[in-house]
Amino acid sequence: MKRLSRHARVVAVLAILLATLALSLPSSAQEPVTIAFWSRDSAAALVQSLADAWNASHDNQIEVTLIPAAEYITKLGTAIAAGEPPDLLAIDLIYVPQFAAAGQLTEISELAAGLPFFDTLSPSHIRLATYEDGLYALPFNAEASVLLYNKDLFRQAGLDPEQPPTNWQEIYDAAVAISALGEDIDGFYFSGACAGCNAFTFLPLIWASGGDVLNEDATEATLTDPMVKAALEFYHQMWTEGLMPETALVDAGAEFLSAFFSGKIGMMGSGAFSISTLKNEHPEIDFGITFLPGKEGGVSSFAGGDSIGIPAGSKYPEEAFEFIEWVLSDEVQLEMFARTASLPVRTDLAENKYFEEDPRLTTNAQAMALGRTPYSLVYNQLFNDSNGPWLAMIQQAVFDGQIDEAIAYAQQQFTEIMAQVQD
Amino acid sequence: METIRNRPAETAVKGRNRARHLPSRRQLAGLFFVLPAVTFTLLFFIIPLLMTIWMSLHDWPLIGTPSFIGSGNYDTLAADRQFWTSLGFTIRYTLLVTPPIFILAFVLALLVNLPLRGVGLFRTAYFIPVVIGLGASSLLWVWLLNDRVGPFNTILRQVNLLQGSLVWLGSFDTALFAIIVSVVWKTVGFTMVLLLTGMQAIPQEIYQAAMVDGASYLGRLRHITLPLLRPTIALALVLSVIGSFLAFDQFYIMTRGGPRNQTITVVYWIFNNSFTYFKMGYGAALSLVLMGFLVILSMLQLRLLHREISY
Repeated sequence: MKRLSRHARVVAVLAILLATLALSLPSSAQEPVTIAFWSRDSAAALVQSLADAWNASHDNQIEVTLIPAAEYITKLGTAIAAGEPPDLLAIDLIYVPQFAAAGQLTEISELAAGLPFFDTLSPSHIRLATYEDGLYALPFNAEASVLLYNKDLFRQAGLDPEQPPTNWQEIYDAAVAISALGEDIDGFYFSGACAGCNAFTFLPLIWASGGDVLNEDATEATLTDPMVKAALEFYHQMWTEGLMPETALVDAGAEFLSAFFSGKIGMMGSGAFSISTLKNEHPEIDFGITFLPGKEGGVSSFAGGDSIGIPAGSKYPEEAFEFIEWVLSDEVQLEMFARTASLPVRTDLAENKYFEEDPRLTTNAQAMALGRTPYSLVYNQLFNDSNGPWLAMIQQAVFDGQIDEAIAYAQQQFTEIMAQVQD
Repeated sequence: METIRNRPAETAVKGRNRARHLPSRRQLAGLFFVLPAVTFTLLFFIIPLLMTIWMSLHDWPLIGTPSFIGSGNYDTLAADRQFWTSLGFTIRYTLLVTPPIFILAFVLALLVNLPLRGVGLFRTAYFIPVVIGLGASSLLWVWLLNDRVGPFNTILRQVNLLQGSLVWLGSFDTALFAIIVSVVWKTVGFTMVLLLTGMQAIPQEIYQAAMVDGASYLGRLRHITLPLLRPTIALALVLSVIGSFLAFDQFYIMTRGGPRNQTITVVYWIFNNSFTYFKMGYGAALSLVLMGFLVILSMLQLRLLHREISY
């Protein structure tokens, strides 16, 4: 009878475990709950400070889990598939359509409409959070792409640091002048093996020139647009003339910003996060921020950042929404976002006392306001995948100079991938 | 593997015959003894395999609802250019990486088999890279190969073999070469230990007899060591080829499949489809086809190298 008694013991242990579990679960809405909140690690500082501030002043607690940015979608997808999604999540705004379409996000249209400041929320975020007339997420943080430049190198090269480039020719001329300063100094930099980085910093060059890679309702690829070719030729020329360091070839994003820390890079595309990082960690670098220009002028930006939403399987959707509402409130947007050089996600707060002190932040806020964001259910596969057609095109065109072949292949791949979601 | 299993299998058959005459209680006890193994195999091999087969017949998104599409995934697979390119690349990589591993492992095994003082130190030294995780070692190599801060380029520059800087992972040939070197460094110790065990299992009397007959070192190597090592070589070869065929980490970390997607292995492509494109069903179909290839490949190798050995 030994087996039976062992069974009995197992049953007893299980019963005790279940009982403890039942006790620890909230029996009513009044009792404080712990909300599991996921974010990518790139927003770590902001997320953690928000959670700390919230936890200190509220009964319901936020428990933050940070996930490496490159693994975020994989991790979230597998967690949802395993039936264990978080209660609340911050997600790259670009992925909201995909997750909303798959029925993995809670529709919050009515709750959101009740927010007094709803009309002032970042338009790019709201557009990306809308799927078939329903709203599935709200803005969480904002990142607009801009051109970052080293004022010291501008001075040394005899350029005016207060007159940053306003078109491609001026970027090129500045890069030539800066590269001439020394063998280890390069005029321009981009992460040549990083797909997402180049959606963020290369696409705006095309947009600012009046071109685009997708048609208006993102149903067709338009990589054959002459401005795509022109932008690729522009980078290719800078590459072949040695105006960029060799490392650009293999940088998968690890040096997206850190390349600039050496003080030996003249210009590169970057985002708002670079301002606070540079100010805090490299105060010795005198840097400027300007808009990413078009071929003959004009400006554009990639309006990126994270949205915040409630997964379909969230245990505490109402409590989670309270946190979202708090994050978007005046006080948090000003004291926790603007004060730490993060862009507020409300247009009515883009001009504030903290930003007045540093015009670079205002430039970034303006870039966010004029920025664009592609809307696609297969964005990851088209643009952000390290093995996807976007990066393959940039590499083949910029490094190998096979521009026409690269564009033709990417156009065909884009069309194929986009066809998958349209049938 | 057949060679290894042969003898225990015979005893098992005999054992079963005898068991027929034993009381049923002991038969039951026997069943309980194998139960953990059976449960383990069912739970972690048979059931997942059946599930994979089932999934491969569906359009099975990682998130969302699956729908049955029959052989749809296999039709896509047949026309999937990247899959066939990846398979070609994986075969090419396996063919390139296997000989250096074996030749080097064999030479190292011969060396550390010498009855010298302190030889244990060398055995340990050669084996240490095996203990490091492939992920960690790949990251280490990324740094070693870095064109600005990596020591390789610095050394090459100092001995005037290199001018300027070489971005190892920036072009296909140098990237593949660098990865092969790193993998050989990482895995040669394991093959060496396998071969060493095989060498030590060869009875010394045979060598002594050969020496009495005047056989040279090379002669002994060729006519005694190599033939008697055949089953060990077969095992090491099967393990090594399977390992190379399933290569993923080093390419994911060191080249991210680049440059220009030229180093995407089959497992990398399965990973991309399943977890980046969220096409679990298609990933399952790819996995099954890869498993098929591996089964055929392993059978071929065993058939080629299998021969009864008697001392």
